[in-house]
Amino acid sequence: MLSLRWRKIFASVLLCLVLFVSACSTTEPSRFSQTQEETTQRDAPPAVADEAVQGGNFNKFFPRSVQGYEVVPAQEKQGFAEYKVNQDGKNVAMLAINDTTGTPAAQKFQNSTMTIAGYPAVEQGQNATAVLVNDRFQVKVLSRDPSFTKDDRAAWIEKFDLQGLANLS
Amino acid sequence: MSKPVIYEVVDRLPTGGVTVMALKSLDFVLPGQWQNLTGFENTIRTVTGETDESLIQQIGDRAVTLFNDKSEGYQRALWLYQTVDSASGMLGTAALANKIGQDISFLGILKNLTPKPEKLQSIDLCVKLVVELVAFCQINGIPGDSIGDFLAALKDYGGESLIRMAALVCFDGLIPLGGDFADKALSVFKQTSPSELEKNQTFKGVNDLIPGNNPTGKHSFITESFESTKGWMNGFVASKGLTPEKVVDNLQKFVDVSKDKLDYLGAFMDMYVKYYEHTGVQTLARRLIERSVAEI
Repeated sequence: MLSLRWRKIFASVLLCLVLFVSACSTTEPSRFSQTQEETTQRDAPPAVADEAVQGGNFNKFFPRSVQGYEVVPAQEKQGFAEYKVNQDGKNVAMLAINDTTGTPAAQKFQNSTMTIAGYPAVEQGQNATAVLVNDRFQVKVLSRDPSFTKDDRAAWIEKFDLQGLANLS
Repeated sequence: MSKPVIYEVVDRLPTGGVTVMALKSLDFVLPGQWQNLTGFENTIRTVTGETDESLIQQIGDRAVTLFNDKSEGYQRALWLYQTVDSASGMLGTAALANKIGQDISFLGILKNLTPKPEKLQSIDLCVKLVVELVAFCQINGIPGDSIGDFLAALKDYGGESLIRMAALVCFDGLIPLGGDFADKALSVFKQTSPSELEKNQTFKGVNDLIPGNNPTGKHSFITESFESTKGWMNGFVASKGLTPEKVVDNLQKFVDVSKDKLDYLGAFMDMYVKYYEHTGVQTLARRLIERSVAEI
């Protein structure tokens, strides 16, 4: 009887230990913890370079609403501006221009063999197409609905005033 | 206070509980508009539709970088959303803190609640609405080239931002103040002196980030903002045929509340339903990720 009782106690102690250890193991560092650490240092560089163009300067290069598609302003920060493309009130795509100064975003265009409207272009992941204008400004179209295809993205990039943007810097 | 870590804040969003239930009860107002999107990586995958691990890493890293740069405004927006919720629900929280996490029964805790006077509810509603406007600008900047562009961006509210506004109208307007809540709140707010406003708990919490050089300036900023959005709120109520009874009926499907104690219900919601913070974090995460995927 005594040994049974002890076995029960042992089992419950073991169970506690297992729970304790497994609870601890869930605190493994996040895959973003390195960036978290680097960007919270006292001397961390700013997220956007000081010399990056104000987002408001990009507004005039965006395409306007066309039949069936409404283009609505969404975000505007230093070095960045973004518009939504809505179809029947539903968001189907995003349009963005950003200044790549101080970020590695322009590097991916170096080996690009594709061009859109004469500018180096890349497909990024499954839902994004981008071109690099004047080695500095990235113009990107992102699908938010399967109906907005890769071909639509390329077509919408051509609707931007890319020439005007090239003359900006 | 330690600095917030954005992926931890998003990872910690609850998948159940009173706040989520209360928000789900608003599905009758905006069917299918809100899904309770939680978890940082999950939000990246859902917003962008991407599955490639190295891309998800880049998007998350950029989001963390942007969030941690104070000048980008995201930290202030988070603080606003968190503070406006906790300040308005501070009364009596300590006494009831030990009940949080247990099965919360409205009747069970009724004896511990004091209904908030109409004046306080009105000020709360006005301050919360202005916080929405200020947080919007912290997160999105002031997009577009004209006032018309800015209004178009506000009008395009959807998902968790729209459900937050619906919750503001229903939980902080209709339930405590009744069908004519917008006019009532505005007239009460106009009669509130700037020095009275300064003493208000909710206002005190977010005072620093409200535009205006002094209490009088802030008072008129809030009045003007409320006046310009009053039409939208009344239109929202009219177009959805909303009444306090309908809101409570739907709330009853999810939370154990009693209909004959509406003023107490307001106090209950104040204390347990942190809808501003919950949906605010979701809005912030979504916008931050939308920017990050575009910038990488």
